Amino acid sequence: MRITAKAKIETRQRILVAARKLFSDKGFAGTTTRDIAVEASIATGTLFNYFPGKEQLALAIIDISLESAHSEFLTSQRENESLEEALFSHIAIMLRHLRPHRGYLGDVVETTLSPFNQSSDDDASANLRARHLETVQSLIEGHATPASPQPSAVIMHLYWTLFLGVLAYWAKDESPNQEDTLVLMDHALRLFVSSLDINLNTLEPNRSS
Amino acid sequence: MSLNAKELIEAMPINFDETQDTSQQSLDKLLSSLSKMPVPVSRLTRMWALGSMQAKVAIAYFAYWMRSGFVSGDDKQRLLNETHLKAAFKLLGGMSYLRGAIMKVGQVIASTPNVAPQEFVEVLGRLQFEAPSMHFSLLREFVHGELHHDPEELFDDFETTAFAAASLGQVHRATLKGLDEKVAIKIQYPNISRTIHEDFKNLKAATFPMRLTRDWDNIQAQFEEICDMLGQETDYEQEAENLRAARLLFTEDEGIIVPQVYPELSTKRILTMSYFDGLHLDEFLTTNPSQALRDEFGRKIVRSSFRIGFRGKMLYGDPHPGNYYFMPDGRLGLIDFGCCRHYNDAEMDYMDSVEQAYLTSREAVYEAIIRATDLTSTDASRQDHMRLGVEYADWVWEPVQQDGPFDFANQEYFTRGVAIFSELIKKRYTRSKPINTWLTRNVYGIRAILARLGACIDFGEIYREEARVTKPKK
Ligand SMILES: Nc1ncnc2c1ncn2[C@@H]1O[C@H](COP(=O)(O)OP(=O)(O)O)[C@@H](O)[C@H]1O
Ligand SMILES: [Mg+2]
Repeated sequence: MRITAKAKIETRQRILVAARKLFSDKGFAGTTTRDIAVEASIATGTLFNYFPGKEQLALAIIDISLESAHSEFLTSQRENESLEEALFSHIAIMLRHLRPHRGYLGDVVETTLSPFNQSSDDDASANLRARHLETVQSLIEGHATPASPQPSAVIMHLYWTLFLGVLAYWAKDESPNQEDTLVLMDHALRLFVSSLDINLNTLEPNRSS
Repeated sequence: MSLNAKELIEAMPINFDETQDTSQQSLDKLLSSLSKMPVPVSRLTRMWALGSMQAKVAIAYFAYWMRSGFVSGDDKQRLLNETHLKAAFKLLGGMSYLRGAIMKVGQVIASTPNVAPQEFVEVLGRLQFEAPSMHFSLLREFVHGELHHDPEELFDDFETTAFAAASLGQVHRATLKGLDEKVAIKIQYPNISRTIHEDFKNLKAATFPMRLTRDWDNIQAQFEEICDMLGQETDYEQEAENLRAARLLFTEDEGIIVPQVYPELSTKRILTMSYFDGLHLDEFLTTNPSQALRDEFGRKIVRSSFRIGFRGKMLYGDPHPGNYYFMPDGRLGLIDFGCCRHYNDAEMDYMDSVEQAYLTSREAVYEAIIRATDLTSTDASRQDHMRLGVEYADWVWEPVQQDGPFDFANQEYFTRGVAIFSELIKKRYTRSKPINTWLTRNVYGIRAILARLGACIDFGEIYREEARVTKPKK
């Protein structure tokens, strides 16, 4: 029997909805792929045709939120924003969209987004990282003076590390309204923006050629 | 006389014998290294504001004040004290926010010694906690967390740039949604109040083991008092409560106004209130106001302070020029009720008794001073302490007792008051009821403003009118 493209999209959607519900009800660790399949009324085997595992499923959910955060960010940019401020609202909007997933975001950051996980052969997380960094890079370029050096790979890696740190911190932040995360973001982005002034190109190994 | 941290540190009374010199120097070194901390990034300057003049003065005052506790004791105890004090200052170096708080303490103590009136007023006007500034993106998230909506949704014309800095954050202008009412919104930097509370806990823990003089308990009680006051300032709901109470104390025709609070747009960390579009004292003075206008404002300043005290049973703890607005229509605007001390009954009675004493006899005045200072010891310094205490009290009461207008523009009067206070501090006659710390601050603060304003007013008459409200003459 041929499965139409439309049916495929619908099934994928059903799985995502089911996973979303269970993750927020029972937590990421407390949910099995079997539970999700049952909730979505499909066979567990079918689920694996769509997602290799629970982690990728979570990542896909987060990716959807980040996608809508991204389009909101593009329309919400204000004039005369400093780079620091633009980067701040970029992250802030993401956090607003990720709020429903805060309970299990920490697990996802740890398992799939971690910088220690670069060897992972699935490219969903690589895509997510690339898309995020592309926006950051264009913000930096938008605020650059002709004299500023191109942000190096090292710089972008620094950014990504800070960003994941913020996500991980936020996921576990017990302070009122997660205000401590705001302070962390403020400090992290000041640090990052001030490091842009330092010419990190000299640190790049391939520059010696 | 100009005052800077170095001079102040040098002027600190040194009570140690020669052998103490090395630790004395190392403390000075520690202090001056604190004030020279490198500043990595310009925006961070505000968090590491130690380089600033205010911070240096404040820290020096703080050191001065803590040190005033060192009098005697055996070598072992002295060494222990030095160690604890050093630990406390090291700790201080690591507390970005508390430095701000210490500046507030500096502000309190700065309302007293050795400073010429003019400079005193200027420095005091500039002293602030220095919270890091917030850009709009940060502010928006914080407001959203507190009030569940973005500032643009809550207000019309929310100005994304702050128009004034506050001790713990910043102040923005906006208009109430769909209304014509301009408001000032004071917004704290996220988590600053929790940080300050933590810092205080640590600082108290560090100073607690110190055993200094026979007066140490008293100094510590005063320190606790200041900590409590600063802690209170971190809670804008408390400030809103004070504003509401103060507003009720004035009628429309009196021309003294207090901002209205909008509670549905306020939290512990955000305070929305009506905006005063007036001039600060210095701006007002540049308009070359007539003597009559100066006097009119002077009377309002005095009346407001007595009204708040006698009827409101509150002490306006922060009477520095930045908190008074000179409105174009002649009204006086009072802002900033974050630092308000509420009198308890015993304190009201105490103040009554001082007044009664002045109405009764010199003997009664002496007795009142003994009560005020808890002077129970019988040692030799007692006579001198008494003499100074009387001088101080007489100075405070002089404008009340004078018949007719009192000319605050007369520099001699204020300078004399400062000299008396300096002597009290130098001789370490600082033992006093905690309430007196605030009364003193209030007295000097208001008289400094009156001096700067050049007001010549019937102070005693206003006093009697206001005092009579609560206690009919017996
Ligand atoms: N209601 C108001 N109208 C106009 N300006 C205000 C108002 N409230 C505060 N400000 C401005 O903000 C500054 C800081 O406010 P303030 O209440 O003194 O803060 P804090 O004492 O907490 O540091 C004031 O000096 C003043 O310039
Ligand atoms: Mg103030």
